[in-house]
Amino acid sequence: MPEQTSKQDACPSRARFVRGLKLGLPIFLGYAPIGAAFGIVARGLGFTPLQAAICSGTALAGAGQLIALQLMGAGAGAAAVVFTTAIVNLRYVLFGAAMSQHVAGMSLPRQAFLAFTLTDETFAVNIDDSRRGTADFASMAGVGVIAWTGWVLGSAAGALAAGAIGDPTRFGVQFAMPAMFTALLVAQAEDRTHVLTALVAALCAIGLMLVLPDPWYLIVAPILAATAATVVSR
Amino acid sequence: MSDSAIWAVIIGMAVVNFATRFPSIAILSRAELPAWAKRWLSYIPASAMATLVVGGVVRPDGQWLNPLQNPYLWASVVTGVAYWRFRSSLGATIVGVACFLAFTALLG
Repeated sequence: MPEQTSKQDACPSRARFVRGLKLGLPIFLGYAPIGAAFGIVARGLGFTPLQAAICSGTALAGAGQLIALQLMGAGAGAAAVVFTTAIVNLRYVLFGAAMSQHVAGMSLPRQAFLAFTLTDETFAVNIDDSRRGTADFASMAGVGVIAWTGWVLGSAAGALAAGAIGDPTRFGVQFAMPAMFTALLVAQAEDRTHVLTALVAALCAIGLMLVLPDPWYLIVAPILAATAATVVSR
Repeated sequence: MSDSAIWAVIIGMAVVNFATRFPSIAILSRAELPAWAKRWLSYIPASAMATLVVGGVVRPDGQWLNPLQNPYLWASVVTGVAYWRFRSSLGATIVGVACFLAFTALLG
């Protein structure tokens, strides 16, 4: 598939990058407080503010980082923490596969940059934008940069002001991620097949949470639901 | 945790981050996939988001909650309706967090 250019030719890449920044602004505002929660907990576990910011800036793993902290708090070693993060991150193999159909034709360094900034939220926003035919590298990079900035600034601020902020859950921070996922889920529900696929995935996820150790449901449920949808819609 | 262990976690997570995300993008974007595989991939976003929502609201922090007294679940329903109605993920997220705080206070 060629890099989408149809609707962007009249629009310089800087304008498309800024458009991406705007598209990603809700992610920035959602990530900053969750990043702050990460920074606060990381500080409590012995991270310096610089280490918290570097960790967020290089891993950009959201839930994966928070789970890592939980394990570190429970006394797990570095290898166990990294291994668990890898399992939690396995869904990004799937996300990357889905993204690949929207970034064909881009150079390897550009794809590497987009892979680096691939998160649940940037994935959903960029896929949605690609389906409208309005996404290209500049807009996707804008989404990635603003999301990264929110996550890293939030983490640094949380770690620096850990004592002053106190318990972040009193601001409802723990619901910011599920709220973003919910909005992004509704954004993906473009037709009846996708709605039914999402319902099947939800039911699979509940069933798998009961029978599989965490976090395998995160990767198995989407695979089962997408397979069922592909077979049924043949 | 010691300083060296923290650095080991930081470096390990950075490597894992990139190693899980990059290869599938780089390889599959250069491959000619059959139509069924493209269709399969097109269902991944909706099913992955549904899985993430369920994990986050039905069993937050690994704890199953009674659906009738689950502030995450009810706030998520309001968030979804808000997004569907107004098509603003920022607005829906703000409404959702406000509802979550209200439901948490109401449901204890």
